[in-house]
Amino acid sequence: MKNIVVVGGCFAGITVANKLVRKLRRKDAKVILIEPNEFNIYEPQYVFWGFKKYPQSKFTKPMNKVLSGKVTWLRTVATHIDSVKKQISLSNGETLPYDYLVLATGAKMDEAQVDSYDDDKIHHFYLADATKKLQDALKNFAGGTIVISPSTVPYKCPPAPAEFTFLLDTYLRKNNLRDKTTIKYLYPLMRPYPEARVSEKVQKLFDKRGIEFVEFFNYETVDKENRKVISLEGEEIEYDLLVLIPPHMGHEIIIDSDLGDREGFVRTDRFTLKVKDQENMYAIGDCTDMPISKSGAAAHFSAPALIKNILLEMKGKVPTKKYGGFTVCFVVTSFRRSLLLVFSYNYAPRKFGLHNLFLYGLFKKAFKIVYFKALIKGYL
Amino acid sequence: MTEYEIALEIDARGSFCPGPMMELIKMIRQAEVGELLALLSSDEGTRNDVPAWIKKAKHELVEIINLEDHDRYIVKKLH
Repeated sequence: MKNIVVVGGCFAGITVANKLVRKLRRKDAKVILIEPNEFNIYEPQYVFWGFKKYPQSKFTKPMNKVLSGKVTWLRTVATHIDSVKKQISLSNGETLPYDYLVLATGAKMDEAQVDSYDDDKIHHFYLADATKKLQDALKNFAGGTIVISPSTVPYKCPPAPAEFTFLLDTYLRKNNLRDKTTIKYLYPLMRPYPEARVSEKVQKLFDKRGIEFVEFFNYETVDKENRKVISLEGEEIEYDLLVLIPPHMGHEIIIDSDLGDREGFVRTDRFTLKVKDQENMYAIGDCTDMPISKSGAAAHFSAPALIKNILLEMKGKVPTKKYGGFTVCFVVTSFRRSLLLVFSYNYAPRKFGLHNLFLYGLFKKAFKIVYFKALIKGYL
Repeated sequence: MTEYEIALEIDARGSFCPGPMMELIKMIRQAEVGELLALLSSDEGTRNDVPAWIKKAKHELVEIINLEDHDRYIVKKLH
């Protein structure tokens, strides 16, 4: 019997583990998931959660509700991978051998790099505690300049800063604060979205809503005393409230096991999802260095190739199944409207407007249910 | 063809999101001053984006090598 070990139990790791146990007979393989957290969070909710207080339990499920009972869950931390001996060190001092390994460790929000998130004027919405702090800041906001900027690239969900900006505009209008507020959106590129055609649409919406766009702004540091954010390019922008997407890094286990690039993202073949220069090792989701968006959708659509390749290897065949880069991206443009983008390695994003309010409302409500009932469980 | 000693290289062919420019910025952040970086891109928009950003960020665009189905951008981190 083979040991297939999945390290990391957020969306990508859980969905892969669930799909694997469905494809394999118990006598052929044991699927083990290593994850210390006992809850799964529907992370796309964070961008909305910043504007309205409600319990986190509304978008969180316990692990036993999303992970198949056929998966062996080790509630501990994996600390090191020895790819020669094919074994994983655990924080309890034990080691776990593997025949096949799937890395799904995600991206770490490295707040310490910014060293300013304790300031009451500097916020983000990528972690629960930070989002709660942002809720309070927005509730107490009485007008001024709000600046939104990524701190580094890559970051999870490329449209998220623009989505937050659109929602902020709507929120301020509803609370009669928009005419007292300047919104500035800083972005590393010469346009407000990576892809040119989608960017045109985003820019039009920015213009219509009076959102100022500052191009080529790559965050370097923040001057808390004078409330200025400063770019690599030498520009300084003043703020009253700064929403700074936190730096993303790979996790320590990837860095310590020498499996990552200089920021700790796993060196991964973008077609087969095999870890480069390693045997029987795969990676998926936000932990990889693949040139695709760090999103649950990308993990979902790449999972079938990874699983097929493990199954091929188990049969002694060459892992030839290729992921074509297909993914979808749901860009929220207000609390009621959105764009749906579809793209792959072979074609640029095609956009579809979900401006029918009934359909959008249905989609928005249904998607969280689909996430917990079907996607994470590996049924789709 | 000039041979370069490349410290970091990213194949961003077919990358639309986050896209080749984001991959280049990521490499610049990871690189040490003086290192040469290579970016592969099949996106025509990159031909405008890379020189414009390099000029703004004050790095050096050493060469753009036009290959059959993509371009190879050689960039030097200057600061």
